[in-house]
Amino acid sequence: MLKYTTSINDTKIFDNLKIFETSPIMKLIVRGKSREFISSVGKSLNILLPNEPNTSSSGANVTALWLSPDEWIIYANEINSDDSNSYIIESELINKISNTGLGAITDVTDQFVMLNLTGEKIYDLFMKGSPFNFNEFKKKKGAVTQTIINKIDVIIHNKNDAEVNLFVRRSFSNHLWSWLNDSARFI
Amino acid sequence: MFIINCPYCGEREQSEFKAGGEAHIVRPKQPTELSDDEWAEYLFMRKNIKGIQLERWVHIHGCRKWFNMVRDTSNDQIHAVYKMGEKPPIK
Repeated sequence: MLKYTTSINDTKIFDNLKIFETSPIMKLIVRGKSREFISSVGKSLNILLPNEPNTSSSGANVTALWLSPDEWIIYANEINSDDSNSYIIESELINKISNTGLGAITDVTDQFVMLNLTGEKIYDLFMKGSPFNFNEFKKKKGAVTQTIINKIDVIIHNKNDAEVNLFVRRSFSNHLWSWLNDSARFI
Repeated sequence: MFIINCPYCGEREQSEFKAGGEAHIVRPKQPTELSDDEWAEYLFMRKNIKGIQLERWVHIHGCRKWFNMVRDTSNDQIHAVYKMGEKPPIK
């Protein structure tokens, strides 16, 4: 059992913008190519892994984001209880995918920090430090992109109108947090 | 700043990518039978063309996939992008 300590543990509210860290949230990277892999993951999770680039699919318990043609990140929709690090979904996937040689499952719960941003100004904030064109992205619910913000690698998931989930590597999370807060003062 | 069309993710800005040098360099089948000069030729010598060049690129801050590109080195114009293992679309 791991004692999960949050990296940011803070909430900031600006004009039309709210940022906070959602934790602890289970996150898994699944990799594989074959058809059996995709159908097996689909059966275990009760969702279909998105096939189309830059999209996502959502189920009752988890959301799957497309990262590359053979890589997806899966994250839980609900916060895990504090003192438990054993996830039913992960052990089921390991049994069905890793142990059968169909693909690879990696727990990245502690590797990625998930920030939740809400408000109308989120894309104005991203625009300050990212080369990505968010014009189409913000209209399309469920869109996913991997890009850079202030030279930091991030994964952004358009969850709802004016709500995104942002994944950043833990070691960069404080740096990104400072930058977001600093830049948010000027939008 | 210029836009690169990643064959997997679509159009992205160049700062998300990393260049990987000349493409389609074949590793010698029997490296042990080569002379040092021939080995150095394979390892280090590149054409360094001014004009249309076939290159390898990687979408390092995106999908982390390698692909090939036909680029004019004199003006950075990208003529084509194609996946690894595919034949170059132009000579």
